[in-house]
Amino acid sequence: MDYDYLIKFLALGDSGVGKTSFLYQYTDGVFNSRFISTVGIDFREKKLVYQTMNGRSQRIHLQLWDTAGQERFRSLTTAFYRDSMGFLLLFDLTNEQSFLEVRNWLDQLRTHAYCEDPDIILCGNKSDLEDRRVISEYKARELAEKYGLGYLETSAATGQNVARAIEVLLDRVMRRMEATVDKSVLPHQRGLRCHDTDIPPSTSSCYC
Amino acid sequence: MALNPSYEAIGKGFVQQYYALFDDPVQRPNLINMYNTESSFMTFEGLQIQGAIKIMEKLTSLSFQKINRIITAIDSQPMFDGGVLINVLGRLQTDEDQPHAYIQTFVLKAIGTSFFVQHDIFRLALHDTV
Repeated sequence: MDYDYLIKFLALGDSGVGKTSFLYQYTDGVFNSRFISTVGIDFREKKLVYQTMNGRSQRIHLQLWDTAGQERFRSLTTAFYRDSMGFLLLFDLTNEQSFLEVRNWLDQLRTHAYCEDPDIILCGNKSDLEDRRVISEYKARELAEKYGLGYLETSAATGQNVARAIEVLLDRVMRRMEATVDKSVLPHQRGLRCHDTDIPPSTSSCYC
Repeated sequence: MALNPSYEAIGKGFVQQYYALFDDPVQRPNLINMYNTESSFMTFEGLQIQGAIKIMEKLTSLSFQKINRIITAIDSQPMFDGGVLINVLGRLQTDEDQPHAYIQTFVLKAIGTSFFVQHDIFRLALHDTV
């Protein structure tokens, strides 16, 4: 095995907010995603090294799950939520409806995810289209703070904050993992647990 | 009413006509003529809808620009009231998304020499586990 942790993230949000472009941008424009037709999901992979708080290097195999358009017809396959360790919740800064739907996505997510307070980064995408913006940064931050989410303004077109959003999410998930992991289990069996008391408090919901 | 011996041709002809309208965003609103104001039922991904107006609200709310479709099989049966039961197995692709398999079932109810869609059930063929 050439990694210490297999980490699965799921990109969520209304159709058209730029989820696929976002993941495509992060994986350096590599198109070779794998599509699993039985559940209608698509994923891309990337390997990276994560530095823990005590300076150790962990090899991460990151899987980024994409909804492949099924959200146009239906609520997502629940397997999607259950197996994800962290969530990128996207809305389109130029589309008010996609921002209003964030609450519904959060409800769905909390119902089906591995726990009630999973790590989520809210991304206001399409920040390059400043002249068409209808959601102010203040309004988005207010929502993010209310629900305890991290918030970043991203652009899948220019790449602004795309890698940052995934790094911030990875950091949150790894901190949770470090705090809850049972050291006796093998690396690939390590899992996440909720509500452990010794999770280091995340510094702030603002990373900018 | 007797069994309609042309059920195969009616099934195939209807499916072709229905999707020609559905897949063209300009013509999609004309689908309203296929449904009855009160006695048409639709189950769309588990959502129960009754009546042409509500059915059209659902169909026109779907958020894609273009749709490509490949029909694998159309299975039809005549019904004892003169109607036709149709089951479609196919794949559809919306915009640049990955293609998904789907199943759609129709019941055509005869009125004189014509038909309307009395029942319409749609599901993407997606499962909860890998």
